[in-house]
Amino acid sequence: MKRLFGWILAAGLVATMAAGAAQAEGTLRVAVPSNVNTLDPAKTKIGEEYIINNLVFSGLTESDPKGQVKPDLAESWTASDDLKTWTFKLRDGVKFHDGRPLEAEDVKATIERVMDKATASVARVNFSIVEAIETPDKNTVVFKLTQPYAGFAEILADRQVRIVPRDKLDTIASKPIGTGPFKLDLFQPGDRFELSKNADYYNPDIPKLDKILIRIIPERAAQFAALENGEIDLIWDVPPETISQYKDNPNVEMDSIATSTWDGVILNANQKPFDDQRVRKAVSLALDRQGLVDIALFGAGTPTHTMIPPTHPYYNSDLPITKPDIAQAKALLAEAGYADGFEIPLYVPSGRPTRERLGLGVAEMLKPIGIRAEIQRVPWDKFVKDIEGKAAFFIDGFYSRPTIDTSIYPWYHSTGSWNTTLWNYSNPEMDKVLDAARAAKTDEERAALYKKFQEVAEASPAGIIPYVLNHTNAFSPKVKNFHSHPMMWLDLREVTVE
Amino acid sequence: MTVYILRRLLAIVGILIVTSVLIFGVTQVLPGNVAYVIVGQFATPEVVAAVEQRLGLNDPVYVQYWRWASGILRGDLGQSMVMDRPVAPLIWDALRASALLAVLSFICVTIIGIALGVIAAVRRNKLTDHAVSMFTYLGISVPEFFWGIVLIILFARYLHWLPSGGIGDSDADWGTRLKHLILPTATLTFTLIAHVSRLTRSSMIETLRSNYVRNARAKGLPERVVIYGHALRNALLPTITVLAIDVGWLIGGIVVVESVFAYPGLGRLLIFAIERHDLPLIQGTILIIAAIYAVANLIADLLYAFFNPKIRYA
Repeated sequence: MKRLFGWILAAGLVATMAAGAAQAEGTLRVAVPSNVNTLDPAKTKIGEEYIINNLVFSGLTESDPKGQVKPDLAESWTASDDLKTWTFKLRDGVKFHDGRPLEAEDVKATIERVMDKATASVARVNFSIVEAIETPDKNTVVFKLTQPYAGFAEILADRQVRIVPRDKLDTIASKPIGTGPFKLDLFQPGDRFELSKNADYYNPDIPKLDKILIRIIPERAAQFAALENGEIDLIWDVPPETISQYKDNPNVEMDSIATSTWDGVILNANQKPFDDQRVRKAVSLALDRQGLVDIALFGAGTPTHTMIPPTHPYYNSDLPITKPDIAQAKALLAEAGYADGFEIPLYVPSGRPTRERLGLGVAEMLKPIGIRAEIQRVPWDKFVKDIEGKAAFFIDGFYSRPTIDTSIYPWYHSTGSWNTTLWNYSNPEMDKVLDAARAAKTDEERAALYKKFQEVAEASPAGIIPYVLNHTNAFSPKVKNFHSHPMMWLDLREVTVE
Repeated sequence: MTVYILRRLLAIVGILIVTSVLIFGVTQVLPGNVAYVIVGQFATPEVVAAVEQRLGLNDPVYVQYWRWASGILRGDLGQSMVMDRPVAPLIWDALRASALLAVLSFICVTIIGIALGVIAAVRRNKLTDHAVSMFTYLGISVPEFFWGIVLIILFARYLHWLPSGGIGDSDADWGTRLKHLILPTATLTFTLIAHVSRLTRSSMIETLRSNYVRNARAKGLPERVVIYGHALRNALLPTITVLAIDVGWLIGGIVVVESVFAYPGLGRLLIFAIERHDLPLIQGTILIIAAIYAVANLIADLLYAFFNPKIRYA
């Protein structure tokens, strides 16, 4: 027995000594909650996968924190007058992590792969307008479009459209090689990623970090303990319900940014009673946006008219957010023939806490106007299969898209893919505004049209997008120059750890 | 004895075949569709159909089963549908991590459980006995995820003594790895220790009342020799059986504990696979767990025979 205690004591001593060993300098340790399914950028679909995408790969263009498009691998670009031919000039001297120089053919192969049905990339739908891709020389890529599209440079900043080497397509999912600021050294499924600085990154001044360690820690309490304990330096995407416990801690810093990711109340115009414009408007008038932000997000969101966040240059700040007006809402319902209100099931996807809470908030706020919403929680699989696009009244939510056009058009244009799946909204004025915005030649023209879009959406609501979610990261004060990104990935190029 | 072992091994093979059919059957009726998990909700029906075709999900169930089962016979557990990599290395890595945690916990459960049981028996109905039973019942009466989080909050968040989870960096030395193992091991040990200590206690009390112990005492042997030299060996027999059952509990506990502590073992792999309807990964992981359980039972039976010469298997 004595010997046993001796061993235990010795082991404890060794362990304590090992804990004193210094961390490598310039190493950032990050906690994320979920494992990833794929490392192939074209096939990525979840936040954790986007983080890796953005660290390992670069796009032709990138989207800055204000949602504006900036050069990335493409140094410059021009569009023809009819907005149907787009020419991109690649930056000189960019190398893949295996040392091979980036060429126009790599860009062509990447986009063609995204467009290929067999790849099943979620970004494919944005590229259906591409008719041909030409590479007149090693540094030039020309895209020929079937229709004018002013936002084309923006969709090239999308998460799935990261440039991959054309000779490594088969192994990209197991050994991702990009031109991004960091190289992936190790992926231990379910446990960790280890990345190191790309010394050949096209901007020689960045990245500043030597290494990044990303640990997959599902349990939120364990993440927080690890941050307080100094095992990790940054927690990615803190859920709204836990923000308060971080806030009270002097050793934890927080950074929040409004995203274009939204939850919404879907009213299906193909079904009674939401086929009546007045009923949809009544629902809109009954809801208190800020109240819903407080209920669903514990305040960690921003009330909006549509998915355009207040931080975006196209946000219509002259247009007030609808305030609850019970009297007018009741009058509209009575006019539509529902003087006594009505009873209706409201479906919410279970396991999506913000959407569940949004559903509860909506049901309560509708009571005063006589709409008795009966909450039905549905498991996600079943929700996608049986509710989304089929039920009359449900709560749903969507990640931000790369451009304002791809964020809006599919949801509000009468031919839009998500509109025809969700709320079947049809408004000729809306179609006109959205089509004009697509073809707008100047930024001013576009901004004016998107501001108009918000007016139209407020006046004749398709459904209700009460808020956009904030994206919040918690980190140690040792981490410097970190800023949360509205696309929810981690831009760590300027970050240092003291 | 050899015949017995061979017969038991054959039985294990039979059990695993039946288990494989059961696992396969259950995973077939799981709600959800792996094709949607892979291509996402944006996918058109043709894309979903193409993925289903590629994964062979449209084949009749018996064809799918035979493809899987014959693969196992060749040592191939198939390809993870979601991660698109072979299942076997994924399971192997997770198994090694889990084995370390399980073995360590098992050793702690055995040593501490038996020690506490003996102490409680020798000092029965005294304060120590009551303290031991309170301590052990506390462990078993609340689920392991609760204790896991309590330990994390106490030792990682407030005291900063131990890491909150994981297995340490890939270049970490054994000292660091051991530190990472302490909290999950403690959680598992605490939730399992009651079985062993309670059984050891009652069986020890019974043995201490027996004639041969009375004789040993009458001969004037020191109490230490009576307890450890004579009584304990006999008292341990039922404990061995309960330890084998504990292996089953241990594996169940690992699934939870690994999730709480972000420990990349079989349990977390299984949860990952279930969340994503990754059928080959679910099937492979459960089959390996079933095999471990069956083998643990065999070992327990053999140990039982070893400790009790009166039992001779034929």
